Amino acid sequence: MSSEQNGRRPYLLPLRRDWWLQLRFYRLYMLREATVLPLLFFVGCLIFGLYSLGQGPMQWQYWLEFMAKPWVFMLNLLTLAASLFHAKTFFELFPRVMPLAPPRLMIAGQWIGTVVVAVGLIVLLGGYV
Amino acid sequence: MTQTIVIARYNPEQDEKPHHETYQVQSDDNTSVLDALQQVQQQDPGLSFRWSCRMAICGSCGVMVNGVPKLGCQTFLRDYPAGLVITPLSNFAVEKDLIVDKEPFLDHLSAIKPWLINTAEGTQPYVQTPKQLAKYQQFANCITCGLCYSACPQFGLNPEFRGPAALALAHRYNLDSRDQGKAQRMPELNAKNGVWTCTFVGFFSDVCTKKVDPAAAINQGKVESAKDMIVSILKPSGAR
Repeated sequence: MSSEQNGRRPYLLPLRRDWWLQLRFYRLYMLREATVLPLLFFVGCLIFGLYSLGQGPMQWQYWLEFMAKPWVFMLNLLTLAASLFHAKTFFELFPRVMPLAPPRLMIAGQWIGTVVVAVGLIVLLGGYV
Repeated sequence: MTQTIVIARYNPEQDEKPHHETYQVQSDDNTSVLDALQQVQQQDPGLSFRWSCRMAICGSCGVMVNGVPKLGCQTFLRDYPAGLVITPLSNFAVEKDLIVDKEPFLDHLSAIKPWLINTAEGTQPYVQTPKQLAKYQQFANCITCGLCYSACPQFGLNPEFRGPAALALAHRYNLDSRDQGKAQRMPELNAKNGVWTCTFVGFFSDVCTKKVDPAAAINQGKVESAKDMIVSILKPSGAR
C-alpha cells in the first residue's frame, strides 16, 4: 500500500542551510572548523618563504619585509589565535577518543608538550644556540 | 501558574505543512513537558505524541524544546520562564503533530548487528570480569531514544549516515569480551556512511540523556577502523 492510500503523508523538513547559526554549540563548532582559513594564509606565507630562500638574498630580504608588513603581521596573529583555539578544542576532545589517562592529565600533558616544542623550536631556529 | 507553550501541529490529511499553535497550561515546579502535552491533549484530543514510561527509560517521548532534542518527561517547564516551543524531533519525517517516523533510525541500528555474536555452543554462562565490563558499560547505557540523531547535522545532511546511536552500539559490542562479531561489524564502520562521515560536531553527546557520549564511541571506532585497514593491508591476501 502506498503512503497516499493508507493516509500517510510524512513531512520531512530539510536541514536549513543556516543550521549552524541556530545554536551556540554549532556556532562554536563552525568556528573550530573555520580556524583552517587563516592557517591557509600562513601556509602560503611559509611556501613563499621557502621559494624566496631559493631565489637568493634579494628575494629573501623582500620576503622578510613582506612578513613585517602590518596587515601580514595582523593576519598571522589571527592565525596564531585561531590555531591556539583549535588546539584547545582538539586537546579537550583527544582524551575522549583515546582514553589513556585521566582527561585533565592528558589535556595538561598536551599543553606542556606544545610549550616545550614551541620553546625548543624558537631556541633552535632563533639562533640562541 | 499559567504558562504559554507553542506546539508544532501537522495533520497529514488536512495540512500542507506543519504550523505552530499556542496553548495555555497550568504549571508548577514539577510540571514536565510531557505533563504539559497531556494537559493540551485534554483541551484538544487530536494532539498526537508518543510516550510510555514517564521516567526517562523507554526513550519514547523525545521532542525538540526550543530547538534542542529533549525527553519530554525529563524536561521541566520551570526551566523555560521565557516560554517554550515544542516541535517534533529534527531530521526525521513527521507523521502527525509530534510523532516522527523512526524507521530509518531502526534500520541503521539493525545494520550494525547490536547483539552478542558468539559461535560457542552449549548453555554455559558467560564469564566476565568487572574490568571487562567497564570497557563497554558506558556505551551500553543507550536507551535508543534517537535524540542524538536530531542533534547530528551530518545525519540531517545525509540520512544514509549510520549515525551516533548505531555506531556507539557497534563499538559497545565490539568492546564486549563475550562477543565475536567484530569482523562482521567492521565493514559497516569502515564504509562510506560509517564512522568516517562523523566530523565530531559532538552536540549529541551533550543532549544524550544517559551520558553515553556517542561522539567518543564513534571516534574510538575511527581508531579501530584505521587499525582494521592496516591489518587488512598487511595480511596475506589469502588470509583476508
